[in-house]
Amino acid sequence: MYIERSSDWKAGFLKRLEENGPWDNWTLYNMSYDMAEHNLITDFTGLQAPKYLPHFTPLAHQLEAAETVIERMNGKAILADEVGLGKTIEAGLVLKEYMIRGLVKKALILAPASLINQWVEELNNKFFIPAIAYRKKYGIDQSEIIVMSMDTAKKSPHRELIYEQDYDMIIIDEAHKLKNHKTKVYEFVQSLKKKFCLLLTATPIQNDVFELFYLISLLKPGHLGNFEAFQTSFSASKRTVEHEEYLKELVNQVMVRNRRQDTGVEWTNRKVQNIQIQFTKEEQEAYDLLTGLKDISSVFSGAFSMITLQKEICSSKEAACMTLSHMLSKCTSEEEIAYAEAVMEKLMNLEVNSKAEKVYEIISQADDKVIIFTEYRASQTYLQWYLGTKGITSVPFNGKFSKSKRDWMKQLFQEKAQVLIATESGAEGINLQFCHHVINYDLPWNPMKLEQRIGRVHRLGQEHDVHIYNLAIEDTIEQHILGLLYEKIDVFEKVVGELDDILTSYKESI
Amino acid sequence: MYPQQVHDYLQTFFQETNCPILTEHPYYMVVQLTEEMDKKIMNRPFYWQYVESAGIEPAPLQLTLVTDRTKLQEDINGEMIHFGSPRLNRLFEATKELGAFVKLYEYTGKGNSMTLTPWLGVNYKVSYYCHHTKEMLYSLGINLLTGQVVENFQERLKTRNLQSSIPADTFAVPYIIKPARALDRLDVLVEEMIIDDDHSWAKAAEARWLRDLEVLEYFYIDSVTKPESYELEKKALEEQYTPRIKVDMVNGGLFYLS
Repeated sequence: MYIERSSDWKAGFLKRLEENGPWDNWTLYNMSYDMAEHNLITDFTGLQAPKYLPHFTPLAHQLEAAETVIERMNGKAILADEVGLGKTIEAGLVLKEYMIRGLVKKALILAPASLINQWVEELNNKFFIPAIAYRKKYGIDQSEIIVMSMDTAKKSPHRELIYEQDYDMIIIDEAHKLKNHKTKVYEFVQSLKKKFCLLLTATPIQNDVFELFYLISLLKPGHLGNFEAFQTSFSASKRTVEHEEYLKELVNQVMVRNRRQDTGVEWTNRKVQNIQIQFTKEEQEAYDLLTGLKDISSVFSGAFSMITLQKEICSSKEAACMTLSHMLSKCTSEEEIAYAEAVMEKLMNLEVNSKAEKVYEIISQADDKVIIFTEYRASQTYLQWYLGTKGITSVPFNGKFSKSKRDWMKQLFQEKAQVLIATESGAEGINLQFCHHVINYDLPWNPMKLEQRIGRVHRLGQEHDVHIYNLAIEDTIEQHILGLLYEKIDVFEKVVGELDDILTSYKESI
Repeated sequence: MYPQQVHDYLQTFFQETNCPILTEHPYYMVVQLTEEMDKKIMNRPFYWQYVESAGIEPAPLQLTLVTDRTKLQEDINGEMIHFGSPRLNRLFEATKELGAFVKLYEYTGKGNSMTLTPWLGVNYKVSYYCHHTKEMLYSLGINLLTGQVVENFQERLKTRNLQSSIPADTFAVPYIIKPARALDRLDVLVEEMIIDDDHSWAKAAEARWLRDLEVLEYFYIDSVTKPESYELEKKALEEQYTPRIKVDMVNGGLFYLS
């Protein structure tokens, strides 16, 4: 085996012998030896970092993840733990470890704007890593460790500044935002030098296996081959995965994924119910009439706008009416206008919302705090009013709220209101372990969004079983969505690994 | 290194390098750098170039170093310094540079006509690298009269009172074995120790390398001309898994011991 030797010391020593000096100081000689001993990595395996973090004890699965990333993946990995298991801690451990070993001096952390302060706090307080949030007026070289929002980073002049920095390590939180390779942010990250790189996401596949392909291609270009090779090897049809074992093997070389049940922490159960709801006769008529619009008017014939309307009417007439009246203004012929107005009138005259009634029933039975997720602001408002008429107090929640308003709503929910009604964008970054009932009032196309929603409640610190109610109306688009959700979960499980229950098991519901 | 250890380290380092500590406090310090230290650790070559070419009065920096922010009550505007921080790494480098070569004599306090025996002591650092690392220190000493070699030499030295000048009434016996030859002898010994060591780590790395290669080959099994990404990944695997061994000297010197 080849042994590398450096001859510098020998040359320096012989020169001093010859010239009788200059000789160094005995105290510094000892310090130098002690320091070498202190910095010695005495084992191939094992982390140095915990020794320097006396104030906190990471969980076993977090230490193991950090170890795997460093020892097996050479510091380039996707951290894909299920929601709520502490991916931030794992990333912090890896960063700390490399800083201790002197391998990372400069690092950049990209996170959603709402999570920046959380990152800065955790790195400083838990890891003694002097990270700061990027502020334009202070410049980018204010600290060696910078936390920045992805939206800022991808824009000029910040983007150019980042390219100049030569970071040793890049950490990207909520990395599923990079699933689309045609976006500016993907391109930005692609052109970033990534010596060490961590991508954090609980949901490396949201819709299809190509998202994972693009994510891994960012991390280790070529690891899954080029796009053509990948497409050929893993079938043209997007949702059936051949050669699963090989793909899984490749994926496992770059991805760490802890599941709740592997963590050694007691986890409460998820009790998932898919609830099928029957429209009333009037509702079904309105739905069919609405669907008929696509044959009458070109304004409604596009698949996207029709699907939107169908989803909305399954949510509430209020949601559908807003879109409908907007589209009505685009109609020109008398026939279209007459038909659309008839639909509108039919909608307005609906007196019953079967789904909302089901929600009331669930809340009454639960007799406990409940979170409702809806996709539409109009439904959010409607539900708040409707539940109010039944004597149930509720607070709204959405991502556009300022931090103080979000905190206030959370507090109101915890202390006063029985129900919190959140829109999709509100799902990121709030933790509500004191609640154990989640109603998915509308179903998203993407199962990982459901997982993110459930993760708000079913996370470390939850002491009760969590009840999840997925509502879908029979004989409507929602049944189709449910079918797609099952297929997507299947792809995820084949390539990435098992998922905790999101929907009830396939056999039960079909 | 805990914050307290970092603090002690800084204190000793600045004392030994003649940088006055202007403010002493358990959790922070203000230190006046000397010109030499400023050049070594502050990384501002352009300033020093400018000072020298313009012939103006040099102004070495004052540093405020905070070693434990969590315990500090006062609002001190200073640089946080902790294990793993870049500044501390620079100080480590400076320490290595300033404590590399010594020539020392033992003070026994026994007085009259002591004779001291010459030794060459060298601290070796041996590193095994593949996709991860392991490091070992070997502290060896060789008697320059007899050629006798001892291990854990640094440990033996620590308990002794060593000074840079020869004590009065003491005779330092001149070496018979030339230090350059003795050093070659120690180099060979270190190599023998390496060869005798367990190298299953290298075999395991190679096995893993092979397995990863197989997966990679499978992925491109159908391509007649392999794309660039294939070569890139293959090269990355080579860099990741190739077992390497490196021998460095931490420091060493001549020791005249009783």
